[in-house]
Amino acid sequence: MKNFKYIPAESLEKASQKKDDSVLMAGGTDLLGMIKDDLLTPETVINLKSLKELKNIRYNAGKGLEIGALATITELAENSDVQKRFPVLVQTCKEIASPQLRNVGTVGGNLCQRPRCWYYRGEFNCLRKGGDTCFAVDGENKFHCVVGGGPCYIVHPSDLAVSLLALDASLEIFSNGKLKTVPIDDFFILPEQNETKENILEPGEIVTKIIVPEIPAGSKCAFIKFKERASWDFAVVSLGILLNTNGSTIKNGRIVFGGVAPRPWIDTALNTKLTGAATDEKNLKSLADSALLEAEPMSKNDYKIILVRNLLKQALIDLSKN
Amino acid sequence: MKSKDISRRKFIKNLGGGVIGAGVVLSHKPLKAEDQPAKDENKQNLARLNLTVNGKKVSLDIEPQTTLAQMLREKLKLTGTKVVCNHGECGACTVLLDGRPVYSCHMLALDAEGKEVITIEGLMEGEKLQPIQEAFVKHDGLQCGFCTPGQIMAAQGILNKNPRPDRLEIMEGMSGNICRCAAYPKILESAIAAAEKAE
Amino acid sequence: MANTKFIKSEFFFEEDVRESVAEVPVDKHQPWPENEKLKVVGKEIPRIDGYDKTSGTALYTFDINLPHMAHAKILRSVWPHARIKSIDTTQAENLPGVLAVITHKNIPEIKWFEDSFLFDTKIRYEGEEIAGIAAETEEIAEKALKLIKIEVEELDFTVDPGQAMKETAPKIHEGGNIVGGNPFTYERGNFEEGIKNADAIIEETYSTQVVVHNPTEPHCSVANWDGDKLTVWDSTQAIFTVRGVVSRALNIPENNVRVIKKYMGGGFGSKLAGGKYTVIAALLAKKTGRPVRLTLDRREMNLAVGNRPDSVQSLKLGAKKDGTLTAMSHYAYGSSGAYQSGAGCSWPFRTVYQCPNVKVEEYTVYINAGPGRPFRAPGHVQGTFAMDSAIDLLAGRINMDPLEFRLKNYAEKDQVYNIPYTSKKLREAYEAGAKAIGWEKRNKQPGVGTGRYKTGIGMGTQIWWGGGGPPAYVTLKLNRDYSVEVLAGSQDLGTGTYTFVAQVASEVLEIPMERISVILGDTGVVPYGPPSGGSVTSPSISPAVRDAAEQMKQKLMKAAAAVLSLKENDLVYKNGTVSSKSDPSKSIFLSDIMGKINEPVLVTTGAREANPEGYMIQTFGAQFADVEVDTLTGKVRVKKIVAAHDIGRVLNRTLLENQFHGGIIQGIGFALMEERIIDGNTGKVLTTNLHDYKLPLITDMPEIEVIIVSEGDPMISNTGVKGIGEPAHIPTAAAIANAIFNATGVQIKSTPMTPDKVLMALSQNS
Ligand SMILES: Cc1cc2nc3c(=O)[nH]c(=O)nc-3n(C[C@H](O)[C@H](O)[C@H](O)COP(=O)(O)OP(=O)(O)OC[C@H]3O[C@@H](n4cnc5c(N)ncnc54)[C@H](O)[C@@H]3O)c2cc1C
Ligand code: SF4
Ligand code: FES
Ligand code: FES
Repeated sequence: MKNFKYIPAESLEKASQKKDDSVLMAGGTDLLGMIKDDLLTPETVINLKSLKELKNIRYNAGKGLEIGALATITELAENSDVQKRFPVLVQTCKEIASPQLRNVGTVGGNLCQRPRCWYYRGEFNCLRKGGDTCFAVDGENKFHCVVGGGPCYIVHPSDLAVSLLALDASLEIFSNGKLKTVPIDDFFILPEQNETKENILEPGEIVTKIIVPEIPAGSKCAFIKFKERASWDFAVVSLGILLNTNGSTIKNGRIVFGGVAPRPWIDTALNTKLTGAATDEKNLKSLADSALLEAEPMSKNDYKIILVRNLLKQALIDLSKN
Repeated sequence: MKSKDISRRKFIKNLGGGVIGAGVVLSHKPLKAEDQPAKDENKQNLARLNLTVNGKKVSLDIEPQTTLAQMLREKLKLTGTKVVCNHGECGACTVLLDGRPVYSCHMLALDAEGKEVITIEGLMEGEKLQPIQEAFVKHDGLQCGFCTPGQIMAAQGILNKNPRPDRLEIMEGMSGNICRCAAYPKILESAIAAAEKAE
Repeated sequence: MANTKFIKSEFFFEEDVRESVAEVPVDKHQPWPENEKLKVVGKEIPRIDGYDKTSGTALYTFDINLPHMAHAKILRSVWPHARIKSIDTTQAENLPGVLAVITHKNIPEIKWFEDSFLFDTKIRYEGEEIAGIAAETEEIAEKALKLIKIEVEELDFTVDPGQAMKETAPKIHEGGNIVGGNPFTYERGNFEEGIKNADAIIEETYSTQVVVHNPTEPHCSVANWDGDKLTVWDSTQAIFTVRGVVSRALNIPENNVRVIKKYMGGGFGSKLAGGKYTVIAALLAKKTGRPVRLTLDRREMNLAVGNRPDSVQSLKLGAKKDGTLTAMSHYAYGSSGAYQSGAGCSWPFRTVYQCPNVKVEEYTVYINAGPGRPFRAPGHVQGTFAMDSAIDLLAGRINMDPLEFRLKNYAEKDQVYNIPYTSKKLREAYEAGAKAIGWEKRNKQPGVGTGRYKTGIGMGTQIWWGGGGPPAYVTLKLNRDYSVEVLAGSQDLGTGTYTFVAQVASEVLEIPMERISVILGDTGVVPYGPPSGGSVTSPSISPAVRDAAEQMKQKLMKAAAAVLSLKENDLVYKNGTVSSKSDPSKSIFLSDIMGKINEPVLVTTGAREANPEGYMIQTFGAQFADVEVDTLTGKVRVKKIVAAHDIGRVLNRTLLENQFHGGIIQGIGFALMEERIIDGNTGKVLTTNLHDYKLPLITDMPEIEVIIVSEGDPMISNTGVKGIGEPAHIPTAAAIANAIFNATGVQIKSTPMTPDKVLMALSQNS
């Protein structure tokens, strides 16, 4: 790895006044890979872990859950309040990477991690690195996006992003000396907005916590991740679902797709159809078949659309059962 | 569903050509000669690290970018910990950090400041194998043995958390360790045997 | 050594038939009886290197740290095809901490591969070696790599064998892209006639991917000179091969090169060749006057040290209504990589099933990618996948049970050489395997199941040489204190060589395992033994160990006869004591014999005897897979594999099972997830890490049942052992493919059978 200085963040202010050639590090499980592969060549690495207050996980009845951005994925999964009230987050955590990585990787880092496109991670000077080509367009794009792409076609790698968006979470961000709160839906961006980053963070902005509202009474929640290997694999596609049904119809709900777009994806057309939809199998099937209608698959990934629809159909049926 | 019709761009252009530093031709920020710190600059950039390794207090000066695995293998000559992928993708470098398994290749040594690290060597009691190690010998939970230290540390990590894990917990706990020889059935058998023995 | 003679002997190593004239013992020892009657051999004995490997003390080449050692790295091409116009290493040399830089400009020309050099100015694949750098640390060497300036002329490239075969494709070598200029062809009978006589004909094309060995320990060498004597620690499956390569490359006599390998972290064939990195380490060590360690990283491992060639196989098979195969043809091509390797995969096709009319034509094709190397049963894994898939399809056409179909076409003789087998218990394997998997539970009609998860059962047949042969030698040293050292010119890859060598010696000499140590992998001390590949190690080495031990017993008896003044034929040996049959009170322990004859250490050398003339030695087996296909996702879960094999004698049941587990789970990797992917537009490999190149994990393993139907093959050697490493791996993918077919009614014709392929095939079918 390249030489760099490693300094603890003394405070949010100090850390956020970072220079261009310095980077923020949480667990480092993504960042170190970037540095090892020469994707980043920082002079200074600022260690956010010294900000101990960003590690707290707190639950307030009625208000919901606050997850410090520096809490590790294991800490989130082992928190008793989370286990009791947000089992879908526990389920998601268990699907992320491997036990060892979860012991080190943080929740904030998981949301801010960089894409896994193999051109991006390899020796290709592609658009996302400031080059002028997307190599995936007529290259090996089996794992790339089917919707929301252009001019870059990554999928967002974070599993937590999918669940947290389904739960309508917000992020607290330290920005220019102040804290601001941003719905997670507004946090992630598409390449058409900016093809060199995946979220709205400007240099020096720091995610401090993730705020998850209570799951509405009566709602059911699920995270389903499909991967090629039985474990320790990024999502080929994933679903985060929040669903409130009353016997025969859906009262309301939210469906989020992972692995299909450069950000956790809300298919608006599909989501607007949820409220009032009947929960008989036939209807749920046609609902699922209406997912990703606007998708434009690339040369090698049209299977993802079938995959999403199949998994969604099954999930809706399972969640509508009592 | 229609396929995107995007015209093919000039790929080769982006592969470079002409005079280039071959090692970085395709990555976006080549290291330049000026970037290279001279040797004494390296020295200035040393940082002090204090931690406990296998029960002994250790204090040493290291370059900040040193990974925990590098520190263990190169500075402390604890070569029982292996490095296979150096990217957090295989588990061979697993050690215990304050009792929990982590990939030592994929974290900075400085992040172990003030903590306790246990490596495969640290499981031993003198020349004596510990029960988890004995289980791997008895049940042949290995072939070439190169992933074995990592496997054993991962298994020990599971037992630290729950001395009586069930089969599923063991499988989950061991899922971050690749064995290319694929001795998995006997690795599992070894870990189960160790769990059954643990009090 | 006892009485020997020189004989012509044939044996198979990886895909090659090797004819050699070898020195073999004149006297054969009585073959051993069945396993139950033996005391140590065949038993479940923990491996003797278990302590070293679980305590962390096992020293691998990767761990060798010599005083004052420097570290080296290799500059590799980022281009798939190019010509180097100039290299400027000045900046790299000036980087503080850099000790030496070598390129084609400052080292003698060293020939490598067919028409190339250690550092060639023509680059034929991404990852090809361009320069070597030694520095104080590996990090400095890595930084220095980036400071080498290279000017190249980029050449058009080809990374697809189908395209590379065309006349218009860029030429990788002067002679064109077909290795050897011509296809390999084989013919028996009259294929066209056979097809005419068929009631059912199938014609299908199957393809398999390139997979990469990815052993956990990287390829690495440590080189250290003492004057003109060179010691090399090398992570290798073939110490004597490495010694030869290094000595030829550096033009120094072999006695000046000592190659050592105590432990290694896997090879699977990728470490059978002498590597450029070893020679580069030696050159840099010479230049710096310091020991040098050179370790490849995972990316280099995925680019430059071998792979299993891909294949495209077009098969045409015909059969009568009663199941009799009448004709088979196999047209195939596969990529060699940038230098010569073998992509042939038709051996099983030519010989597994009885068929009078067979035609084969196969091409190995150069492409601009890392060269292939033998990978656990080269050719057979690809070939068996296609062949056994086609067999199931054909059996289906005539509504015949696939197992019955295979039995109908059971080959009693080797059909290529037209000679009998020393033994063949494939029928028994079929029977035992079918019973264990519950063959009768399979879908009579493929794909009839309903619901989300469909299950199915399928099978594949395995054939592989694995008989070993001479030359292979073992030196046995008996110490006066009733302890033994066995030195064998072999290497332990994790397969258990250390352990079985001790077991065989212990069996014969009746000395406990704890008092036997085994020394392998050091050309400076061990007698010659073959490279550890081709599943030849145990069948070649175990008889030599037995020979050495039997000779030692003879020696002790002779000495005892002299010491006790008795006739040799009146003596018996038991647990280290020689006693008189006629007068049991007269007995003497070996320590006393050795004391009397004043020999602190007795030495014998054993050799592998010749293989029987006029017979074909093969291993046989069948694997049965029980799988579950998720029709919503296309994901295949292998629930159970039953492996029933005829592999001669079992030396150690525990180690044997472990080998089978490994072979089968690697087979799952090949069948379902592993794949080297090259970007066609840039010629660059995309899967250079262990996340994009997917290896099976503990959570991917099925239940595995291993059944051995053989008790030893007394015709081949005094131990009757055949190899198992490769047989275990061969039929897994075929069995899984056929189980998927049985579950879904859809045949997936290309590996890896990833969810996307299965899902698309299912959706096209419905
Ligand atoms: C082999 C492997 C497999 C993986 N598999 C999965 C998977 O299946 N699913 C999945 O979701 N993830 C997966 N990951 C990603 C892993 O979960 C993330 O690497 C991890 O969560 C990142 O956390 P970290 O604390 O280590 O982040 P770091 O590596 O420290 O940081 C990642 C990025 O986020 C920035 N950052 C970190 N924290 C903040 C903050 N508070 N504010 C602003 N910026 C910040 C950093 O500057 C950096 O750019 C995998 C990673 C690896 C290496
Ligand atoms: S998908 Fe994006 S990251 Fe990948 S090659 Fe294209 S531009 Fe680069
Ligand atoms: S070597 Fe650390 S995870 Fe592979
Ligand atoms: S024992 Fe060889 S990699 Fe696990």
